[in-house]
Amino acid sequence: MADFERLSEEVIAGSVDEVAELTQEAIDGGAEPKEIINQGLINGMSIVGQRFKEGDMFVPEVMMAAKAMKGGMELVEPLLAEGDTSTVGTVVLGTVAGDLHDIGKNLVAMMMESASLKVVDLGIDVDPAEFVEAVKEHQPDVLGMSALLTTTMLEMQNTIELLEEEGLRDSLKVIIGGAPVTPDFGEEIGADAWAPDAASAKDKVLELID
Amino acid sequence: MEEMVRANYMANQSVNFSMLSENERERIYLAALEILERTGAVVHDEETLEVLADAGCWVEDNRVRIPSGVTQAAVNSAPSRVVFCDRNGERKIIAEGDKVYFGPGPTNNYYIDPHTGERRDPKKEDKVDVAKTCDYLPNIDYVMDLGTPKDVQTGISDIHSFDAMVRNTTKPIFHWGFDIDQYEDIIEMAAVVAGGMEELQKRPFIALYSEPTPPLVHSEEAIAKATYAGKHKLPIIYTPCVMSGGTAPATLAATLALGVADSLVGLVANQHLNKGNPFIMGGVYTIMDMNTTVFSYGSPEFLALQAGIAEVASYMEIPVFGTAGCTDSCTLDGQAAGEAAMSILIAAQAGANVVHDVGYTEYGSTGSLYQLVMGDEIIGMVKRFMEGIKVDAEHLAIEVIDQVGPGGHFLGQEHTSKHFKNETWFPDLINRQRYSGWQAAGATTMGERIIEKTQRILAEHEPEPLDDAVLKELDRIVARAEERERQRTKK
Repeated sequence: MADFERLSEEVIAGSVDEVAELTQEAIDGGAEPKEIINQGLINGMSIVGQRFKEGDMFVPEVMMAAKAMKGGMELVEPLLAEGDTSTVGTVVLGTVAGDLHDIGKNLVAMMMESASLKVVDLGIDVDPAEFVEAVKEHQPDVLGMSALLTTTMLEMQNTIELLEEEGLRDSLKVIIGGAPVTPDFGEEIGADAWAPDAASAKDKVLELID
Repeated sequence: MEEMVRANYMANQSVNFSMLSENERERIYLAALEILERTGAVVHDEETLEVLADAGCWVEDNRVRIPSGVTQAAVNSAPSRVVFCDRNGERKIIAEGDKVYFGPGPTNNYYIDPHTGERRDPKKEDKVDVAKTCDYLPNIDYVMDLGTPKDVQTGISDIHSFDAMVRNTTKPIFHWGFDIDQYEDIIEMAAVVAGGMEELQKRPFIALYSEPTPPLVHSEEAIAKATYAGKHKLPIIYTPCVMSGGTAPATLAATLALGVADSLVGLVANQHLNKGNPFIMGGVYTIMDMNTTVFSYGSPEFLALQAGIAEVASYMEIPVFGTAGCTDSCTLDGQAAGEAAMSILIAAQAGANVVHDVGYTEYGSTGSLYQLVMGDEIIGMVKRFMEGIKVDAEHLAIEVIDQVGPGGHFLGQEHTSKHFKNETWFPDLINRQRYSGWQAAGATTMGERIIEKTQRILAEHEPEPLDDAVLKELDRIVARAEERERQRTKK
């Protein structure tokens, strides 16, 4: 019988090596891949999410826990039965053209991954055509864009317009964020959601997918 | 003249304070040199890459590694003092040694409406108010815009912001710009006001301002300005916002070393184009709050880092852009006052030369004249404190003590009337009324008095106007920029 409780504890502790070991032990012991994920890895990560919300855990600890969970996931995922999936949805993320400020976007990616979202991170300085290309390729549920500069945030509008031109706008939801980006601006350019920080961006995306 | 000889006597002309020893300052500076030589930085600007290569840097694609000798030569050629004049050419800010000056900060996303207290988008007319308020406040030495105006064409909001400020204050203006096109206009406007480009270079009343993107990334729009300032012989403030735990290691010493390294990339390009070009390093060094991820403007680690960067810059003999008078609080409250007071005091004690962000609230997101007006009062207190205690025969006043004798009082003494005004600071907003007096005066809080004073300044203060001919030229340049922007956005 696999010790899921210990696996969860090691995820919470952010112990990358231990999580990999315990996951491998569980696999070798014949545990169901789905159960390893849900009762061990995801269970640990949702406790992390809860503790972070309550201020008992901090960003670097969440980051380490997510890293540990991801290591375990990589071992289990190939074993999942057809039709089973370890993710609840796909998000394409990027910092818009002309903008190199991406620490906020990286936090968003980390938060989303820890909530079992598949994240395709396009990085920085992503122009509208690159976003559209990625949407075609990955068919995400949600497209997320970030900007730190008042000038570059206008690129969000250009991306949404290009999605419309390409007939892709209705296939996904768009969420935006970054210091100068306001809910009003989001409404103006026709985004579906806005979030002020990484944790609420993750919550909003889960709502959008639901 | 003292009557007797004194041997080995030392006097403190001001309060003494030290966060880092001389050796620690040097070690942080040397660590920055090692970072630049070993890891280097990414520079996203072709012209600057050529300049850096020519200066002796190792350039591979856009990765630049800087030999320590090249960095040291730039540090040595940078002036130890940068002087700013007011709009009329009077020398007002002498950023050198341990001299300290204060002003607001740039480009907040929101603004507290000084009439309603509402947090809203900044407008161009707010820049008029910011300039007027800074112009009035005695302890505010220069002007920055406290918010990017959003009611004008986005691509030239920097030009509009400068236009509003330069018409409403004689104090020096430190101003950001999106790109070189906009800076060309802003500098042309400043030259019109100064009476020509050469006059502006000789007696600058503006500084250019830009921020690299730590760790070790220099965007085209950031570093091109350091290069541009060198070419045009104008002062540049090159100031990273370094986020301990986020864009820098979580240890404060590493945060300092990394931020210094980023400022030095700009310095090397700038000095290679114009040896001795006025250059101010900075800037905002603080932690990422690991719960909320905000970039804290009030934490004790921020205070330690601000003292640290001031001292490392002082070791390097390059004037520093400090940060103080700001708060993480979302409103004008006890937290805002406490955080502002601590940072202003520490900036002064550390000898940060040009201290900005007085008036920043909500971890820098929102500009507030209330916070600025409160900061002015706190700076007044701090200035007095920093004068310390003067110790000499006149100030020891043994004669006077003997004349008055036991049980007497000193209120009627000539010595008292001669000295009390110089020795004490007189508050404007701080309450020292007795309870009954305070009640009779309306039983107001400090916050209410700050709001009242802010509104009074806006209603009553009239800054010195510019000549009509100059105003017409400014109108022309702004109109030209608007037309260019219309053409650009049409495309």
